[in-house]
Amino acid sequence: MKRKLIAAVGVAGMMAGVAACGNGGDDKGTADANGNKTVTVWVMDGSAPKAWLDEVNKEFEAKHPNTKVKVEIQQWKGIQEKVTTALSENTPPDVIELGNTQTAGYAVTGGLADLTGDKAKLGADAWQKGMLSSAEVDGKLYSAPWYAANRVVVYDKKAYQKAGVTPPKTRDEWIAGLEKLKASDPATQPIYLPGQSWYVLAGFVWDEGGELAVKDGGKWKGQLGTPQAASAMEFYKKLQSFSTAPKDKDEATPQQSTDIVPKGGVASWIGLGWEAQGALKALKEAGKEGDFGYFPIPGKTADKPGSVFLGGSNLAVAERSKNKDLAKEWLALAAGKDQMTKYAAATEGALLPNQQAANFAAAAGSFAESMAKGAAAGKITPVTAGWANVETEPNPIKEFMTKVLKGEDAAKAGEAADKEIASRINK
Amino acid sequence: MTVHSQGAATSAPQDAPPKSAGRPKAPLAGAGRTTGTPRRGRASLPSGWLPYALIAPAVVSIAGLLLYPLVKNILLSFQQVNKIELIQRKAPFIGLDNYTQLLGESRFWTVVVRSFAFTAANVVLIMVLGSLIGILLNRLGTKMRLVLSLALVMAWAMPIVASVTVFQWLFDEQFGVVNWLMRTLGFAGYEQHNWFESGFSTLVIITVLVVWGSVPFVALNMYAGLTTVGAELYEAAKMDGANGWQTFWKVVFPNLKPFFLVTTFLEVIWVFKAFTQVYAMRSGGPDRASETLPVFAYIEGQAQQHYGLAAAISVLTILMLVVVMSFYFRLILKQEEEQ
Repeated sequence: MKRKLIAAVGVAGMMAGVAACGNGGDDKGTADANGNKTVTVWVMDGSAPKAWLDEVNKEFEAKHPNTKVKVEIQQWKGIQEKVTTALSENTPPDVIELGNTQTAGYAVTGGLADLTGDKAKLGADAWQKGMLSSAEVDGKLYSAPWYAANRVVVYDKKAYQKAGVTPPKTRDEWIAGLEKLKASDPATQPIYLPGQSWYVLAGFVWDEGGELAVKDGGKWKGQLGTPQAASAMEFYKKLQSFSTAPKDKDEATPQQSTDIVPKGGVASWIGLGWEAQGALKALKEAGKEGDFGYFPIPGKTADKPGSVFLGGSNLAVAERSKNKDLAKEWLALAAGKDQMTKYAAATEGALLPNQQAANFAAAAGSFAESMAKGAAAGKITPVTAGWANVETEPNPIKEFMTKVLKGEDAAKAGEAADKEIASRINK
Repeated sequence: MTVHSQGAATSAPQDAPPKSAGRPKAPLAGAGRTTGTPRRGRASLPSGWLPYALIAPAVVSIAGLLLYPLVKNILLSFQQVNKIELIQRKAPFIGLDNYTQLLGESRFWTVVVRSFAFTAANVVLIMVLGSLIGILLNRLGTKMRLVLSLALVMAWAMPIVASVTVFQWLFDEQFGVVNWLMRTLGFAGYEQHNWFESGFSTLVIITVLVVWGSVPFVALNMYAGLTTVGAELYEAAKMDGANGWQTFWKVVFPNLKPFFLVTTFLEVIWVFKAFTQVYAMRSGGPDRASETLPVFAYIEGQAQQHYGLAAAISVLTILMLVVVMSFYFRLILKQEEEQ
C-alpha cells in the first residue's frame, strides 16, 4: 500500500511540474454597471509624462460623461507575450501603445482594429511621413503614430572639461576623445556601453551601407554575416573596449540610466531622452548634481551625423475592444495637434511628436537639440510583419554581438544569426 | 498496566536485533492487548458513499489542476498555435507536425542530452553530499546537530528566486564576491571574470545552487532514517572488524535501501523539471546554451510564441520522465509482490 502511495506521489509530482505550462491572463472587466464605461489604455514606461496624460484624460472625460479612462503602465521587457495574450482576450485593453518595430507584426494577426476609415477623424494628413510607414501594412492603417526618438551621446560635462575633450564630429575624433578621457581619469569609464545595445549597432551597420535584413526573391534574410556588419561590429568593439560594462547584457539590465550612471564613474553613455531625465532625477535623489551635455552619435565624416535607429511608438485600438468608438475618440484626442503640442513641450522635445506643427523649439545645448540633429540620419528596422519575431528574446542580434565581443569571428557569428533571423522573419 | 510496562521494560534489551527478536515478542505484546481490535476496526470501515465523499475534494482538485491542463496540453501539441492563431482563436489540428519538426531539429536533441547530463550530475552530487551530511548529523552532539539542522532547514526554506538572486550577485562579473575572493586568494584572471561565459559554466553555477538547495532534504531524511538503525547493528559490525566503508555498505545501506530509492527518484523528478533556478539565472542564455527541457519549452512557448510546439516539447518531456521512472515503478511493484 505504502509503496503504491509513494509511486502515486511520484507520478503526481512529475506531472505537476511538467504539465503546468498555462498562461494566466487576468480578466479586466470593462463592465458597464450603471452605464459607466471604462476605456483602458496601455502605455509603456517612459512614454508619457503623467501630468500630460492626466490632462488628456480630464479633457476626454469631460467630453464623454460616464466614461473613465484607466491608464496602465507597461514595461518593455516581455511586452510582446503580454500584448499577444491581451489581444486574444475578450476584454483587451482598448488602446495599446506598440513599439514601431512591432506594429506590423500585430497588424497581420487581426488583433488590431483597421483605422483606414478613420483617417480624417485622426488627422492623418498632418502626420510625419517617416513615422507613418511603421503604422501601415499593405496600404491599410492599423495605428496612429505617436512619437519618435533616437539615441544621442550623453556626457558628463565636468569629466569632458577635465580631460580637455570637446564634443566630436567624427568617429575618429570620438575615439581620440575617449583615449584622452581614459588617460585623464583611469578610474572612470570613458563610455558606458554594454555588449548588447543592438539599436546602437544598427546605426553603425547603416553607416557602413549595410542592413539588418533584406528582401530577396519574396523572402527576407538576415544581413549580419556581411562584411558591412563585420566592420560595424569592429567599431562597436572598439567603443566597447572603453567600457567595463558586461558584454552579455543590454542597456536595460541593469538599467544604465538609473542603476549605473547615478553611481558615478561614467563619463559618457548612449541613451534616449527619458533615460537622460531619469538619470538626472536619480542623481538628485542621491544628493548629487548632474551636469550633462549631449551630442549626436558621430558619423564617419563630419558632414553627416551617424545613422541612428529612429525608435518610437504607435497607438492602436484593439479589434476586440468593447468600446472601439470611444477608443478611437481617445486616440484622436491624444494624437491630435493640440495635445501633441503639449506633449512635445512636456517632454521638452525629448520625444518627437507625430506632426511637424507640434514640434517643440528645443533649447540650445539640450537633449532635444542633439536628438533632432541626429534624427536627420534616422532609419527604422525592416517594415515587415516578421520583424517582431526577430526581436523576441533570445534576440539573435544580441547573441551575435556578445559572441563577436568575446572574440568569435564576425562572419561566422553573423552567419549563425542570419540563419536564426531567416527562420523567424518569414513566419 | 503493570504487566504491560514490565513487559516493555524487559523486552527492550532483548529487542536488540530487531528482526530476530521481533517475532518472539509478538505473543507477548498480544497478551497485553486484544489482538482482535485492529482487525475488527478494519472490517467496520465506513462503506457506501462516505469514502468517496471524503476523497472527492482531492480527486476533483487533482483533476482540475492537473488532469485538465494535461489533456489540454496534449491536445495543444497536435495543433498549430502561434501568435496569429492565438489572437484569431483558430487552432487547426496538424497531426504530428509539431513532433516531426521537433524530432528533426538538432537543437532539441542538444537540449535533451543536456537535460539528462544536468540531471545525472545534480542527482549524484545531491545524494552523495546529502548522505554524508546525514551521517554527520547522526554522529554530532546535540548542540552542533541543532546548529547544522537549523542551517539545513534555512537553506531549504529559502525561496528559489531569492536564492538565485543571491547567487547572481555572488558570481557577478563586476561586483561579485567570488571574483573578489579569487583575487584575494591570489588567483590571476579574476578581474571581471564572467562566470556565465558559456552554457556549461552557467549550468555549473546552477548545479551548485540546485545541490545547495536540495541537500537539506536528503540530509535530514537520511538522518531520520539513520535513527531507525539500531546502535547494536553498528556494534556487531565493529565486533566483526568492519571499517567505516564496510559498515556503510553492509549495514546502513541495506537498511535504508527504500529511503535511497525514494529520495533518488524524487530528486530525479525534481531536478529534471527544475525550471525556476535555470530560467531565473540567465533565461537559458548565453545564446540558449543553458536551456534544459522545461526552459526550452517555456522559451519556445512564451517568449517565441509557438504555443503548439512548446506543448509538444512538454509532452515529450513527460514521456521521457515516464520511461525513466518506469524502472522505479517496476522495482516498487516487484517489492510489493514479494511482500
